Amino acid sequence: MRSTHIVGSVDELPSGSYKFVQAGKFGIGVYNVDGEFRAVTNYCPHRGGPLCVGRRYPVIDSPAPYEFEVSGGDEILKCPWHGWEFDLRDGESEVGKKRIRTHKVRVEDGTVYLEGV
Amino acid sequence: MSEPMAVFDAAVHPRMLVNNQIYDYMVEPFKGLVYNTPNRFFHPVPTGIAPYGEWLDQSRPDGEVITTAAGAYTAREPGSVPERTREYLVGNGVRGAVLNPTLRGLQPAADQGDAICAAYNDWLAATWLSDTVDGVEYFGTIRVNPMNAAGAAKEIARWADHPRMIQVGVPVESHHPYGQRYYLELWEACAAHNLPVAIKAEGGVGVEYFPTMTGLPRTHIEFSALHRDRFYFHLASFIAEGVFDRFPDLRIIFSDGGFDMMTPAMWRMDMDWPITRTEVPWVKRLPSEYLREHVRFVTNSLEGPPGEDPDLVAEWVERTDAAHLLVYGSGYPLWSSMAPAEVFPHLGAEDRARILSGNAEALYGPRIAASVR
Repeated sequence: MRSTHIVGSVDELPSGSYKFVQAGKFGIGVYNVDGEFRAVTNYCPHRGGPLCVGRRYPVIDSPAPYEFEVSGGDEILKCPWHGWEFDLRDGESEVGKKRIRTHKVRVEDGTVYLEGV
Repeated sequence: MSEPMAVFDAAVHPRMLVNNQIYDYMVEPFKGLVYNTPNRFFHPVPTGIAPYGEWLDQSRPDGEVITTAAGAYTAREPGSVPERTREYLVGNGVRGAVLNPTLRGLQPAADQGDAICAAYNDWLAATWLSDTVDGVEYFGTIRVNPMNAAGAAKEIARWADHPRMIQVGVPVESHHPYGQRYYLELWEACAAHNLPVAIKAEGGVGVEYFPTMTGLPRTHIEFSALHRDRFYFHLASFIAEGVFDRFPDLRIIFSDGGFDMMTPAMWRMDMDWPITRTEVPWVKRLPSEYLREHVRFVTNSLEGPPGEDPDLVAEWVERTDAAHLLVYGSGYPLWSSMAPAEVFPHLGAEDRARILSGNAEALYGPRIAASVR
């Protein structure tokens, strides 16, 4: 049965923060990524690790050897088990072809709702 | 077995006629300093029991007197007599060869190390490279001292326009893995002059580090079988430090084995790349994907699958990409010198042609073209 869950108020979820919602089989993390909300199943598509226990990191790129280009936000979620990294913005793994399960998030009257879980 | 195509030998290691010949080419103040030339390594080689003799018997001088511009010498060192080398190469169907003299690795005094490399370059250019040799064309190696990257870059510039100097040579023994920043100026010069870099084992266990990370092996069999893992440390360093990304034209050729352990080692490095990517974000491709563009190994008669089962050899060649990554080199005058006929006789003609000459031509370019046709 799919239903809607209340995650919390927008004020409780500033950019860079997240809330864990006991929903579905594994639970779901709702992340504020630069003002956009992203909901992710707490299950790593690599080996089933508890993805939402993982830390968030900025995107690190390099225009040339020994030069680091660090993004301002924490767009990457890193699984605590094997270090697989996923971009919260599109759910794609940074390396390889894996995708995390994402869910619809709706904001209405200052409240964040998780839908269709 | 005679080869249907002209063979190119990428690893011939000529030696001076006698140890003291180097002083004919040293400049002051280094001419006045003792250069300790232990022409052997220190592990007890089972010398004298053919064919395991350290040097090929054919390469040992037999009283030949060789005259150079600097004087006449009775040749004493194996591999020092040009006519013996010529005879060996022509007998192998070799039409062109890169000469990379054996030095003694690192010197404690870096400036003396520079002077020794310069002396070897002057010697090679004045003797082997200036003679016209019947049937085989010689090319040279610009030897440089990696302990002084700036000095090495200058030495490369001194020789880069020499029509027969076609690669740069450094020892596998070094005080840091070669990808690290201490050497960037050296690799930059190699790439700028479009000269591949040959990395070659040569230390006599002098001032360089132990050949294994756990200390000195006691026996020759351990040293001989395992010292080549040092090539892999350099290869991993070149990749991880982004040297190939920094210098897209840089080419490395490992001249003393290591190829047969490279493949599983690269599998391992590929495995870690996804999760350590933020540590080395400049490494844009899987480590193993850098090999074809940047890395070659010289063939080695002591490596590869044991026995002559054609199926096993073919499978090994396929799994290791040997047809693209190996370049034939005899290693003359070592006792383990490899004749072209020994290079995977059962392999397909096209792949053998790549290893025996095609890959060398792609690596060294048009300057050797006349020798591979």
